[in-house]
Amino acid sequence: MSLVARSVTKAFGGITAVNSVSFEIAAGELVGLVGPNGSGKTTLLNILGGQLTPDSGAVTLDGKRIEGLAPERIAHHGLLRMFQHTRIFPRISALDNLLVAGRALGLGPQAALRKAEQLLDELRLREVMELDGANLSGGQQKLLEFGTCFMVPPHIALLDEPFAGVHVTMKQIMADVIRRRHAAGQTFLIVSHDMPVILELCPRSICMNAGSVIADEDTRSVLSDPRVMEAYLGGATV
Amino acid sequence: MQHFHHRIALEFTLVLGVLAVVACLPVVITNPYWLGVIIVSMYFALLASGWNLLAGYTGQFSLAPACFAMIGAYTTGLLAHYFSAPPWFGIAAAMVVAGGVGSLLGRIVLRLRGPYLALTTLSFAEVIRVVIGNSYNVTRGDLGLNVPGIFDSRLAYYFLFLAVLVLVQIALFALLKARVGLYLQAIRDDEVAAASRGVNVVFWKTAAFTISAAVSGLAGALYGHFSQLVSPELGLIFQTGLVISMVVIGGIGSLVGPVVGALLVYIASEWLRDVGGYHLIVFALLVILFSRFFREGLWGLVRRALAPARAPLPAATVKRGWL
Repeated sequence: MSLVARSVTKAFGGITAVNSVSFEIAAGELVGLVGPNGSGKTTLLNILGGQLTPDSGAVTLDGKRIEGLAPERIAHHGLLRMFQHTRIFPRISALDNLLVAGRALGLGPQAALRKAEQLLDELRLREVMELDGANLSGGQQKLLEFGTCFMVPPHIALLDEPFAGVHVTMKQIMADVIRRRHAAGQTFLIVSHDMPVILELCPRSICMNAGSVIADEDTRSVLSDPRVMEAYLGGATV
Repeated sequence: MQHFHHRIALEFTLVLGVLAVVACLPVVITNPYWLGVIIVSMYFALLASGWNLLAGYTGQFSLAPACFAMIGAYTTGLLAHYFSAPPWFGIAAAMVVAGGVGSLLGRIVLRLRGPYLALTTLSFAEVIRVVIGNSYNVTRGDLGLNVPGIFDSRLAYYFLFLAVLVLVQIALFALLKARVGLYLQAIRDDEVAAASRGVNVVFWKTAAFTISAAVSGLAGALYGHFSQLVSPELGLIFQTGLVISMVVIGGIGSLVGPVVGALLVYIASEWLRDVGGYHLIVFALLVILFSRFFREGLWGLVRRALAPARAPLPAATVKRGWL
């Protein structure tokens, strides 16, 4: 399933956070979204996920317009997301956190339970599955939220900073899940400041700066692009 | 603490156990006054259960449960007064009208949270109470409206309230045990996350308002037929405060907490009636203490005491390199 953004623009007051952004992600692609802080990456993800409505422009998921739809409808269309600041349900168990997504996205009770248990094993969270979300470590909370994106096979998963502040073991677990799912044909858009991870995981990357796309090609070329270096380092040399 | 299905099944068993004890009380309590006290405590248990669905499970801190009870009481009262409608019809209509008004209020406050939600629902409740109080030509205002009774026997009312309370607990258990229970708690914890995982937040929040108001309307209608008088006093903010203190003391966000809290608080308040208004100070202090130190109320304390000690978690191991 392809995700296409055409001239997407969003301003807050006098600041244009996303300025006429266009890109196309084909089914089965694994794409990195990089850029310095404040470049508009999270705002763009909020538009794609339905948390924000763009001022102008169009977003299509497999040809269907989804911009401005309620987030739950976008989720039902197969676009699932993980937030930059972890958003889990703190007062229900880790298992129930996964079941919410499974049941809401159409799985029956037994199918949801089986899938949740399989994911808990895959993410090595089975030991803590009965703990409330609030009682998990920060890394486990990230893993749990990551897992909610895979309760049903997403057509596309938007992952906002999945590796930020996470222990190396948990990074490995997430990276392995992404690789396996990608090999099985799932589509990903991953926001990260962790360039080595992006370089290793994502064949293609998009770089944003000041709300606009400044580079969109294979990851190695993007990371060595002078405009990207300028955006990240502000003209300084290393 | 535990998979929600296991937790709620345990709570449901306990609440049925508590109500089984209540069913046996008339064997030892034959004094009509104390039977009346327990009947009123069951009225509050219904209100507390309805409010708990909205505030405890869905996170919508409404200050209108007593208002919906008043709406329910006046629905059946007015139907009986003007149309000689039988009580059973009036009670069913009370649920429909209160639920409908609750649904409307739910849509109005859909995007409000915290103090804004509380203040809006409080303002709504006061407006309805003042309108009913001032509509003398229709409602007889503060004089109240006479409502026909259903039974002559106080014991019959006792078992009617008990049967309705059991049915409401069964309905709430069935509702919460299904996927709805997870959705409501997800909405309580984080609406944005719930929506992004496919939960229809607008629909389920409105549904919670509707069901909660319908339960309150049912309670109010039953109370109207029991007391044979409905007045705007049913909707006083003091009544809502009492409901909230019952839920907080018993244990918010559980099936058993509101029922135990309502029985304990109301029976204790009658028991302490001789000390005048001081018992209200005691309950206010208890609410402050529970809110500060025991947020899960009496049921939370019991649950913690029963929770098995956990073994330490196994240490994670790094597989290879950094990825």
